[in-house]
Formats: sequence, C-alpha cells, structure tokens
Amino acid sequence: MPTQPPLPPLLTPYVSSLPPSSLTVLSSVLGATGNWLVLRFLHAALGQPSTSDAALGFSETNNGKKRKVVLVSFLRGWEFWRTEAKRLGLDLARLTDKRQFAFIDGLSELFSVPTATPTQTSPSHNPQLRGAVPPRTVLPLRPQPGPVPARGPQPAPRPVATAPNTPTSREIGPVKRLHLSGNGNAALDALEKDITAVINDLKKSMTTGDGQEETEVLLVIDQPDLLLAATGPGRGIGATEMGDWVMGLQQHVHATLLTVSADSPLIHNASTFAHQPTTPLETEHAAFSIGSAHRAHMVMQLRNLETGAARDVSGVLRVSKGGAWGQDDVDDHWEEKEVLYFVQRDGGVSVFGRGE
Amino acid sequence: MAPTNISHRQTHNLLLISKLLSLRDTASPLTLVLDSLEQPATPLIKEYIRRAKLSKVHVTLIAFETLNPVDGVDAFIAARRKTPLEIVKAVGGAYQNVSNGPSRTCLMQLAGRLILIDAVNPLLHAKKNDPQFHLSTFLSTFLIPSSSTAPKVDVSLVVNFHQDVPNPPPQSPYAPSPLSMLTYLATTIIKLHSFSHILAQKAARDRSLAAPVFGLEEEQDGVLLGRLDKPSGNELAEGIVLELEHRRKSGRGVLEWYFLPPASRYPAQYVKEIVTLLDDHPLYRPPQQQDADAEEEEPESTFELRLTDRQRREREGVVLPYFDAQQGDGPGEGGRILYDMGEEDDFDEEEDEI
Repeated sequence: MPTQPPLPPLLTPYVSSLPPSSLTVLSSVLGATGNWLVLRFLHAALGQPSTSDAALGFSETNNGKKRKVVLVSFLRGWEFWRTEAKRLGLDLARLTDKRQFAFIDGLSELFSVPTATPTQTSPSHNPQLRGAVPPRTVLPLRPQPGPVPARGPQPAPRPVATAPNTPTSREIGPVKRLHLSGNGNAALDALEKDITAVINDLKKSMTTGDGQEETEVLLVIDQPDLLLAATGPGRGIGATEMGDWVMGLQQHVHATLLTVSADSPLIHNASTFAHQPTTPLETEHAAFSIGSAHRAHMVMQLRNLETGAARDVSGVLRVSKGGAWGQDDVDDHWEEKEVLYFVQRDGGVSVFGRGE
Repeated sequence: MAPTNISHRQTHNLLLISKLLSLRDTASPLTLVLDSLEQPATPLIKEYIRRAKLSKVHVTLIAFETLNPVDGVDAFIAARRKTPLEIVKAVGGAYQNVSNGPSRTCLMQLAGRLILIDAVNPLLHAKKNDPQFHLSTFLSTFLIPSSSTAPKVDVSLVVNFHQDVPNPPPQSPYAPSPLSMLTYLATTIIKLHSFSHILAQKAARDRSLAAPVFGLEEEQDGVLLGRLDKPSGNELAEGIVLELEHRRKSGRGVLEWYFLPPASRYPAQYVKEIVTLLDDHPLYRPPQQQDADAEEEEPESTFELRLTDRQRREREGVVLPYFDAQQGDGPGEGGRILYDMGEEDDFDEEEDEI
C-alpha cells in the first residue's frame, strides 16, 4: 500500500483551522482510539506545510501565525507520543527544544507525593485511598499493533522506561509532571496553575524570538476523564468541576482539543433515556462528556464499524457540530461529515468515504 | 378540522409566540428551554437576544458554559466558580450600573430586562453546593426586585436545561429532581427539536413505522451526536422546531408546535414575525392542492383524449332536450314526467293516484 500523506486531504479542513477560543471534543471508544487523530492535530499545528522532514526552516508560520502546542496527557507517557509522532515525521524532542511544543505528563506522578518520589509509594498508598484506578505509568493502549505487543505483562517492563528516572534527566525538554493533592476545586486549581505556567512559558519564549508575530497555542488535553474516574465525587471533583477546569484552561489558549472516552457503559448507563440505577462514575463521566460536547464547536466521534470488523477499515469518524457551534458569527462553514478511516501498520492513516 | 378553526388557531398562537419571544407584557416570567445535543439552544438564544435588541430590552447572560461574551448582550456574567449568591449579586449589580449610569439617562425607560442562563446543569451538578441551596429561591431572586425602593422592572428569565446530561443522584430520596422542579416552576416550556428529525419521524409515522431516534437515544457505542446537517441535501429542512407549552394565568395551558427558520434567512433588523406554525410548513404538511392536481391528471395514451377549445365551445353550446322541458311554459310544467301511453301499457287508475 502506498504511504499515506501525514494529513489525509479529507481531514485537513477539520484539523488545521480551529476557530479562536473554541473547544473541540474528540470522543473515542476502546476499539477505536483517537491517538492517531490527536497526532494529526499536532501535525497540522506543528508540521511544515510542504515537506515535513525539512523541519529546520524558519517558515513555521501558518497564515502568518506561529503555532505552538501544549499536550497534557493523562493516559500515555512521553515515550509513547514521541515515538508515535516520529512515525509522522514530527520530532517532538526537537520541537520541545525549539520551544514550540511542551508535554505535560499527567499520569506518572499524579498521585505521588511531589517531594520524595520513589515509585513504590504511589502503588502502595493509593489503592487504599481511592481504589478507583491504580496509577500506572503507561497504559498498553495503542492505535494499532506496534513494536510493543499489546498483550502481556505490561506494567512490569513499562515503568522502567519513565518512572524511576528523575524527571528531565532522561527526558529531553521540559516534561512537566502533574501532582494532584487536596480535594475539589483547590486540587484542580493547582493543576490549572501548573499547566498555565507551561503555556505562558511557551508564549513568552516566542515573543523574545521573532517579535510581532501572533502566537496561537493549541492545548490538547488527552483523556482527562482519568482524573475524573480516579478522584470522583468522593474527593469533591465532579463533572461541573472538571468542566470549569477545562474552561479555565481554555481562557489561556487559542484553541483546545479535549479527548474523552465515549464507550457505551460510560455514556449510556446513566443516560436520561435509560432508566436504571447508575453508579456515580457513570453519571459524572456522562455528564462531563455530554456537557463538553454541548460546549464544543466541533465534536469528532470515533467508533467501530457497525457491521463488525473489517480488514481494511479501522473505524468510523463522524464530525458534527457541537452545541456551541454558531455562537460567534466568525464560524467558518464546514460540513458535517462521516467517513471511514484505516490505520496502517506503519502509522499512516487513510481516510475515505463510504464505498470509495 | 374546520378551516375557520385553523385560522383562529393560527392568529392566536402566532400572537402568543410573538409575545413570548419578544418579551411583551411579561407574558412569561420564567421560560424553560429544554435542548439537547441534537438541537442545541444557540439559535433560539440568539433569536431572543435579537428581539430584545430590537425592543431595547437590557440583556444579561449568566454564562455557565459560554467562554466569550456573545454579541448583543449588555451584561455578560461568567458564572464559573461562583457561588449562587455571588451570581445573584453580580446580576443585580450589572443592572444597577445601567439604570443609574449618568450616560445612559436617555435609556432610563428601558423596556425591561431579559436574563438568560445558558445552561443550568453545571449549577445543579456542582459538588460544593450547600444544602441550603434551593433552585426555586435562586431563580426567584432574579424576578423579585431586591429592595422595595428599586424601580420595578419587568424581568423575564430564560433558563436553558440540557435534557441529555444525566442528573446527579438526588440528595434526598423524597426531593423532586431538578427537572421536575423546573418544569413545575416554569410558566413556559419550550422543547427544541431539529426540523430534519421531525420530518424523518413524521415520514416514518405516515408509513406506520417506528419513529427513528437520533444521537444519544440510539444508544450506539461511541455515538454522542447523530446530527448531520445535510442529511438529504435539503436546505429547506434547516431550522428548529419549538414545542411550546404555555401556562396562562388562568391556569389553562396552550400547546403548540412552531417552526423557527435559521437566522440566515432573514435580516437581523427584520421586525415581522418569522416564526410559523409547524403545521403551516410546506415540508411538514404539504398543501392539499398538490394532491388534488395529481388526481386530475389523465392517463397517458397515444390517443388524444382531450378536447380542443373549439370542440369544447361547441359542446357547451348544445342545448339538451331536458333544458327545454324545464322552461315551465311548455307542456312539461317543471319536473313532471311526460310519457305517452302505448297500447301495451296497462294503466291502473288506483296505483297512479297515490
């Protein structure tokens, strides 16, 4: 199969120009993960217009605006994103050095004490504290079979890659790690402060360089539902608090991309259309995801093919207008669309309409 | 339904919706808008703001979800991380600035005040709410003037509620859910539907099929939103449908379905009523005349079955014999049956006399 362009032409209008102060929600299910699409957003913002490999030029402007990306990942570590982006021709490490990209690790030390960071403390005291989700450094979720086998005793070898190392000793660039302490809004405020510090840092480094150009920072929040699931109402964090948190972050950046899981049990068990007793997690998760979709300009939904697995189709992508579409009159006119996509072994993605 | 009945309904209910949307006579102090992902309330909110601007009503938007100030809003109050009490204070302050401001003295005679809440769900979900918080008191503080000295203003409150966001578990098993509380308090309830969905459901009903469901109701894995704005490439199918329930002061309820066309179809300064009854929409209820025309169509054939004009004229000119008989001056005298007896007839005197 011929190598695909890093940005499939059908997707370009949707990933390349996000309206100012907009929220884009990317929902995925277990069988159709959204990492590849997040990478396309990164590529659209950071990649070169013509040749992605000759990345050293000074032409990193899109419409006269310089773009930067802050990626906050709650499910996957730096190594994952670096290797996956490399397959697209994006060198995240170099972009970090060039202060165009910043990675914030929301997972590795989220629940560990910030001062002393031996890794043993986090698994030992957390499960009895909350018991919801044991902290794990990297989940073995991948968009397609890669060099690492998807099954097997994952947690054993993976933590070695990131956790025991002291931060920034092995990692290149400022890989900021988030720590959660306290309850409710105070805990989220601390996280917000950490993230905005990174954003402002990135903005500042820009103005010293080539002055008058307008900077656009794209904030990618990858699966913050982990935060919701791991804390929950017991610690005073619910859908409203999470939504407020995202809104607070939105104020600092040009556009925001939020990825959430939309698997059936997480959405439909608590749905108002199904009448059955639900757990707090189901209620809060559904309220957070649906509430985010209400606030979004664009909702991109990934799901499995209804007719079952196919050899040349990975899933269905539906792009719809979110609840906030049409609020500002500046909205560009894009069409809602449903397409199929296929993630190849080499990480390339082809996007095509039904029957094409 | 009799035609007089329909026109009666048209005039009355169109007047009603026009009064409600333009906030005339404070017809409805508390309007509850029920939206969903399939049909967000944004177009209706914008329509409220547009009409408020036309009639010089002061607009306040309490934003639980909106990040940036919306065009046409006089006071934008971000409700993020605010307690209900702070929101009430901010809303009160926003209006005082206007009514007391020296530069705006010419606008002292503001027609009234519109307070919009873009989504009330985050407020209901918030974990930090103290048990003293009551939705009914929170909402009524907006409607009741803060002090008796304050000039009385006609306040209309429009609250948007996302139906599809699941409700938090009730704090007390005996307490009513927030939604039932809101529907109880509201004087007008507007439920929003997407016009293309209404058309699809009607088409299914007309064929006695189960009505299709969209989006979250499909309960399909990974589907949050089912809406595709050009399902059939039909531009006319754009727009939203309002299912209105209005409670009059007398207690009588009015139920009606309306159609609100998309904002691109009319200029912003347009003052005439743009909302129509759903039943009057040509796509929802195609005019009967079309059917009548279709029936008159004659079957196609290779023969010319129609008459030429001349033939028709001549045919109309033919005087048929019974017209003569009806003249009244002839032997017939109206409608009597003229019959000449033949030999074979057996005339029975008695029978004919009856």
